[in-house]
Amino acid sequence: MAPSAPAAGPPQGPAFDAAAHARETARLIGLEIAPAHLPGVVANLQLAAQMAALVQGWPLDITDEPAPVFVAR
Amino acid sequence: MSAAATAAAIRSRQLRAAEVTEAALADIAARNPRTHAFTEVTAARARAEAAAVDATIAAGRDPGPLAGVPYAVKNLFNLEGVTTRAGAKIERGRPAAARDAFLVRRLRAAGAVCLGALNMDEYAYGFTTENAHDGDCRNPHDLTRIAGGSSGGSAAAAADGLVPLALGSDTNGSIRVPASLCGIYGLKPSYGRLSRQGSYPFVAALDHLGPFARDIADLALAYDALQGFDAEDPAQQRRDAEPVSGLLGAGPGGLRIAVADDHFARNGHAEAFAAVAVLARALGATRRVTIPEAARGRAAAFLITMAEGGQLHLPDLRDRPGDFDPGTRDRFLAGALLPAGWVVQAQRMRAAYRAAVLALFDSVDVILAPATPFVAPPLGQAMTELDGRILPIRPNLGVHTQPISCIGLPVLVVPLADPAAAGTPHNLPIGVQLIAAPWREDVLFRVAAALERAGIAGAPQPLG
Repeated sequence: MAPSAPAAGPPQGPAFDAAAHARETARLIGLEIAPAHLPGVVANLQLAAQMAALVQGWPLDITDEPAPVFVAR
Repeated sequence: MSAAATAAAIRSRQLRAAEVTEAALADIAARNPRTHAFTEVTAARARAEAAAVDATIAAGRDPGPLAGVPYAVKNLFNLEGVTTRAGAKIERGRPAAARDAFLVRRLRAAGAVCLGALNMDEYAYGFTTENAHDGDCRNPHDLTRIAGGSSGGSAAAAADGLVPLALGSDTNGSIRVPASLCGIYGLKPSYGRLSRQGSYPFVAALDHLGPFARDIADLALAYDALQGFDAEDPAQQRRDAEPVSGLLGAGPGGLRIAVADDHFARNGHAEAFAAVAVLARALGATRRVTIPEAARGRAAAFLITMAEGGQLHLPDLRDRPGDFDPGTRDRFLAGALLPAGWVVQAQRMRAAYRAAVLALFDSVDVILAPATPFVAPPLGQAMTELDGRILPIRPNLGVHTQPISCIGLPVLVVPLADPAAAGTPHNLPIGVQLIAAPWREDVLFRVAAALERAGIAGAPQPLG
């Protein structure tokens, strides 16, 4: 469905802590991030969080399915 | 010389494919160092293909519509016997490709001669073709500036006349951005139109392949040759070929043409909007349309790209992160860490966004929008001003292309023949996106050809 309301702001909830997310998620999936790479990773996660806020501001109906490409052959 | 003129001269025996190939190889040897568009020259292959074309003609058989026409491909296309490097140091140790990519096989069947592989951003994750492993690709219109990316080598080689045709890929704008910055034509067809078999993947849901050329007839020739069904690409749709070369004289009569506003009337410098206005005036397009929620569409593309790219390269991110280009590594690492909910929401929103945008095409056939928010920035420049904010250049070069490709619409980038008409800084080139409904590449070619005939569209000649 198309959005029925004007652009919404970021979703409500605790602020996204990109540095903590990077450290903890990387540890949980066994991905080592060198200290020198961490600032860049955090900056990119912060940008992604801004994009996620935009995406989450689109009101979806329960029937809105994802758009992957899969064709049963 | 254009692809069409070259093929005509070879087919009529005024030229031999072998001499055209030798001249092109010599030209690349002499001039490629200035742009660094080529990363590999396949001279032996080119000579063998040219000899085969000449032998076919000598035997009285049809050598194909692209007989002896030189071309080259972004170095993510498989070329038999060549390692597909995809702009990455990591790939250099992999085995050579055992078979040509499907589109390369199509061009070979049409008689074209492959001269080599072209520079790109590592794993196609960028808009600048600044590559730490292969060297930066330079814009032939100003060697101190970027060519755009990620198919920067493809655009630079075609713009500089090293080849009349080149192939690239476009996930978020990687054909359209360098076409605009280098001042040539570029086509991103409908998602699922051309087979991607044998190309190094990036984002399965968003990857497209397409051609570059310096004039619309050549772009049409290439596109017509590239069409064909390939069961090996799971995303390609089974459709009959829909050639466009015969439509170039049809003109835009009867087509409803509008200019995109809102997101596409912001997020750029004056020259980007002036270029759209030049085309709109020439076409008599006074109507404006709003592509709804384009910024959210772009955000969905951003997240899907980051997540799929990060997951694709996770084994190497674990084992050898130091071998990635610093320009891409941190984004891939971040992509591997994205919350699943963000990505699933992006995919669900993308489907809803597509439905909202497709409704526009009930009342419009072609939409004009900027291709890049500004002309080519200097190599190494990280930030620029956009709408009063200082923002990073790399992600924002795709601000006007990402909302379109993430729903698979066909787009043809048309270069302004006279960049001064848009008041571009330093007279640098710039292009405009012509956007249509899925599978309507035909109307894009009709409009582009009319603009070229009117002298509005055309590839400016690089200096030097």
